[in-house]
Amino acid sequence: MGSSAKKKKEKKQDFQKAKLKVGKTKPKASNFTDTSFSSKAIVVNQQSLAANAPTQAALFNHHLSLLTHRSDTQRRESLSFLTTALSTRPVHTPPPQPFGVILPKLFPLVLDGSGGVRQQLLKLVKCLSGDEVDDHVDEILLYIRAGMTHLAPDIRSSSLDLLEWLLDVSGLEVVSCAGGWVKTLQCFLALLGWRVETGTASKWTSTSTSLAGTAKPTFGKAGSDGKYLVKKLHALALFLRTGLLPPTEDGLIGKQDIITFPLWQTEQHLLPKRSACFAHLNLFGAPRDEESEMYEDREDRQGIFAEKFQPTIERGLDNARKEGGEVGRAAASVRKAVSEGMEGYSREF
Amino acid sequence: MGKRKVGALEKVEADLPNLQHKIRRDPVSYKDDFASQYHQYESHREIFMRAPGSATDAGLISLRELIDFVAHVADCYPEITKSFPEDLMNLITLHHTDLEPELREKIVGSLVLLRKKDVIDSSALLQTLFPLLTTTPSKSLRALLFQKILSDLRSSNAKTKNHRLNRTIQTVLFNLVVSDRTSSKGLWAVKLTRELWKRQIWTDSKTVEIMKEASLSDNEKVILGGVRFFLGGDKEREELAEEESDDEPDIDMGKLRHQAGINKKTRKQSKSLEKAAATVKRRERKKNQPHPLNFSALHLLHDPQGFAETLFQKHLQNTKSKLNLEQKLLVLQLVSRLVGLHRLTVISLYSYFLKYLTPRQPSVTSFLASLAQSTHSLVPPDVLEPLIQKIANEFVSEAAAAEVASAGLNAIREICVRQPLAMNETLLQDLVMYKSSKDKGVMMAAKGLLSLYREVGADLLRKKDRGKAATMELKLGERKQRRFGEEDIGGIEGLELLEAYKEEERKRKREAKGLPADAGADGEGNGDGDEEEEEDEDEDDWGAWNIEDEEDSDDSGGWINVESDGEIDISDSDSDRETKPSAAKKAKLDKKANPAARDVDVDGAAAEEEEENADAEAEAEAARQRVLNLATTRILTPADLAKLQELRTQASVSKLLPETQRRLHAAAKIQAAAAASHNRHVDDPLTAAEIEGLAMLSHKQDKESRDAAVKAAKGERNEHKSSAALRKEKLRSQGKSTTNKEKARKKNFLMTLGKARFKQKRSLVETQKVLKGHVERSKRGGRRGNNG
Repeated sequence: MGSSAKKKKEKKQDFQKAKLKVGKTKPKASNFTDTSFSSKAIVVNQQSLAANAPTQAALFNHHLSLLTHRSDTQRRESLSFLTTALSTRPVHTPPPQPFGVILPKLFPLVLDGSGGVRQQLLKLVKCLSGDEVDDHVDEILLYIRAGMTHLAPDIRSSSLDLLEWLLDVSGLEVVSCAGGWVKTLQCFLALLGWRVETGTASKWTSTSTSLAGTAKPTFGKAGSDGKYLVKKLHALALFLRTGLLPPTEDGLIGKQDIITFPLWQTEQHLLPKRSACFAHLNLFGAPRDEESEMYEDREDRQGIFAEKFQPTIERGLDNARKEGGEVGRAAASVRKAVSEGMEGYSREF
Repeated sequence: MGKRKVGALEKVEADLPNLQHKIRRDPVSYKDDFASQYHQYESHREIFMRAPGSATDAGLISLRELIDFVAHVADCYPEITKSFPEDLMNLITLHHTDLEPELREKIVGSLVLLRKKDVIDSSALLQTLFPLLTTTPSKSLRALLFQKILSDLRSSNAKTKNHRLNRTIQTVLFNLVVSDRTSSKGLWAVKLTRELWKRQIWTDSKTVEIMKEASLSDNEKVILGGVRFFLGGDKEREELAEEESDDEPDIDMGKLRHQAGINKKTRKQSKSLEKAAATVKRRERKKNQPHPLNFSALHLLHDPQGFAETLFQKHLQNTKSKLNLEQKLLVLQLVSRLVGLHRLTVISLYSYFLKYLTPRQPSVTSFLASLAQSTHSLVPPDVLEPLIQKIANEFVSEAAAAEVASAGLNAIREICVRQPLAMNETLLQDLVMYKSSKDKGVMMAAKGLLSLYREVGADLLRKKDRGKAATMELKLGERKQRRFGEEDIGGIEGLELLEAYKEEERKRKREAKGLPADAGADGEGNGDGDEEEEEDEDEDDWGAWNIEDEEDSDDSGGWINVESDGEIDISDSDSDRETKPSAAKKAKLDKKANPAARDVDVDGAAAEEEEENADAEAEAEAARQRVLNLATTRILTPADLAKLQELRTQASVSKLLPETQRRLHAAAKIQAAAAASHNRHVDDPLTAAEIEGLAMLSHKQDKESRDAAVKAAKGERNEHKSSAALRKEKLRSQGKSTTNKEKARKKNFLMTLGKARFKQKRSLVETQKVLKGHVERSKRGGRRGNNG
């Protein structure tokens, strides 16, 4: 049959090696796709026509804009560039952009998915001083609180680092800004898994609460839990100490009084040096509830703490202390902070 | 801020859907996790509230995902999420313009989800969404909101009507329409109301009131929305209802049971059978349910006179009205329908028409239709007369084109059907002359007018045009022209038919019992026997109260049937009495089987009756009395009403019989005329197409339309094939195979060869055997036999 012979030949052809000849182009493969195309013009997407190198300021702005780049390596590199730029600038020289512009771009990185970026962010903020950050405390605190309750444990832990730094730099601002005291404390409770007992309904679950913090299985990746708990407790102790202890008096006041001897309490009559000094009056914002209120005095903070958090925290501390070891020691330090802070507080009716 | 791509590993750590799933299964143990996520949500919300305009892609988890998560599990933790719905409402109310679209949609979706989980109630949801619908500039959001609002209203009215919610929403819509009449926001109210009306969720007068206010607004779109609703809303509703009842596929229970007996018995199979049975049962119940009594929107209006007047003055008479001709025509249609339906008196409306009644006027047929529609028997004839005169002058002349003339004649006829007194003698005789026109459209229109006036005003016609029946009646003085404002004595249409039917039944029953059919012939002697029988029959009637459930009827205990004695002695000589009396039930069945025959039968009987009776008038009087009796002394059962309906349709069928058969009885003819006029429901609008009528007969079709008609007649036959091939194709498409004969014909030649060769080599004995076998088989009727 003719057709079958033809088929045989076709089949055979598939397995035959193509002969290469000198001076001829290689035959195209059967599945070759022609990808060449013709174009009327060649378009270069990015071209730099600048003859000289970009200035330091331009580079700074460029890297600032790269903070939202989708690659985490790029973000980290930009951060490290900014770190060096900020730390190596001469004293008393303002950065290329005001801090009001830089800081809001940095804060969202608290919640960044990549650990390297967060590490680098911590390095960057450590070269900022207190009076540079003071005005933006409530904003960064929002991000830190979001980080403290984040699903990912790594982000939770690194946001605690940031909180510690912030307490170091401008502790009083942190505890007295709007929502800074109550909401952050709530975040701590959620972080430690210490539940606020409400009424008698949860009597049965109280046993499970007593185990909270260590043994209770929680959602998310189990990190190095014991060490992590210590870190949380340290942060809590620092926070409580900042909020509850009386502010340390510098010996300068007496000196100043001496200098401006005939004038008394000049400070109060001068123009305020910080921005939004009437923020506590809340003239323009939405009405605040108990949680987002500003607690500016130590007494206010003590009051709300005694009312809402003290029992829960003490119960949690008891349980933590029973564990002993490093956790127990950290718990003891928190307890010390509480007892010192609440010294001299009497419940008034 | 550009959207950052989230790596796979990052995702694993921040897995909200996973947490959501776990919370769903065990809300108590994951309370802490939820609390911390709720904190997370709150801090994200605060971050967002600081700068609502900027994008909110903060890290791994966006606010959108958190909102979604919290909304899905909000019902598990009511105390923690107490303020959540309120937050969302505030967020979308205050910032809906500058939220990013995805987040906006998510918030709306979450609110609806919360409503489904009963965390918030319907009115709260609607009060949040509705203001957005009217204010947001985003088209996609509007579409989403509209859909959500509608579906929420539907679902909250699904089981029972939620009257409180409906009332509040109706009030909101009403206020929306009324508060600012110039704005186009009312359009949303119109759209929503129309949709809900269509789905029969709102059927009350408040809904109609909203639409009424809409059609009286100052914005053209809103006006048109309202007017269109009145003109087409009810039809739309009916169509939807029909569609819904149609699209359910029929379930053949017998077939399913059979299949279940044969196929593999699995649990799934038995479940599906149960399901089908339940569906059938439900449908049955639904079918037997009383039909929801839905009034049309036009009937639900509170003050039709005021509405019609205001509509007319505001949109039509007002020279400053911004409506264009098309829109004005719609408004005019509504006004004229209102006037015609409710018999309103808006005198200035008729003079308004005068201006537009010229053949040059665009869409003049619509004007003519509206004019005819706004005519009713209480319109003073002298108002209509100049209009008819004008139509006759402008449209109906030798100089006018044939379509124009036929449209004019049709319009005049439609007006005169409704108010016959508007015509004068000379004009009518003039117009009737067109019946000999060469053009078919004109001729038929003129004949229509003629036949109308033969019925309603034969004395206006010339003698030769009156026709036999009318002439005779005029001569006898039976025919009286109705005067202005005269009304029929109210009655139930077709009641005399029912009466005749009952009479027939009674006779048949008596015959079955062996009594003489004619009760009157018995004399007074066995009067009580009659009474008794009457009662029997009545009980039967009460027994058959319902049409469907005839078996479970109980007799009506202490009811006494009060029948007048006059009812018994009505029918006299009945010549063609049935000779073979059978059981009553059988007779009933027979009746149902050939109604047409019986109808003729009745007619014939009645005709003879009339001839025999000398005092016809007395008889007629008695008949009228009888009919009244039936209406006043008995309660018509649903079975009676069903029969009445049946008889009415029979009557309307019989009117289609040839004239010669109908002429036997004059009453039948009057009845036929009545049926013809009632053929169209009063609620149905008169359209311009009806005025144009047969105008298309006036001119020859052009080639394209002729081709189209041919193509339509041909069907889907698009290529040239023999009819046999087409038939085969059709069979194949139905999944049917070929015949044996065809198979034999197509059999491969090589396969038949062997047999053919063998055939030649057969011995004589073998051949004989084969032949015998063949004969035997053919006697038996094939190989398998045909006698089983």
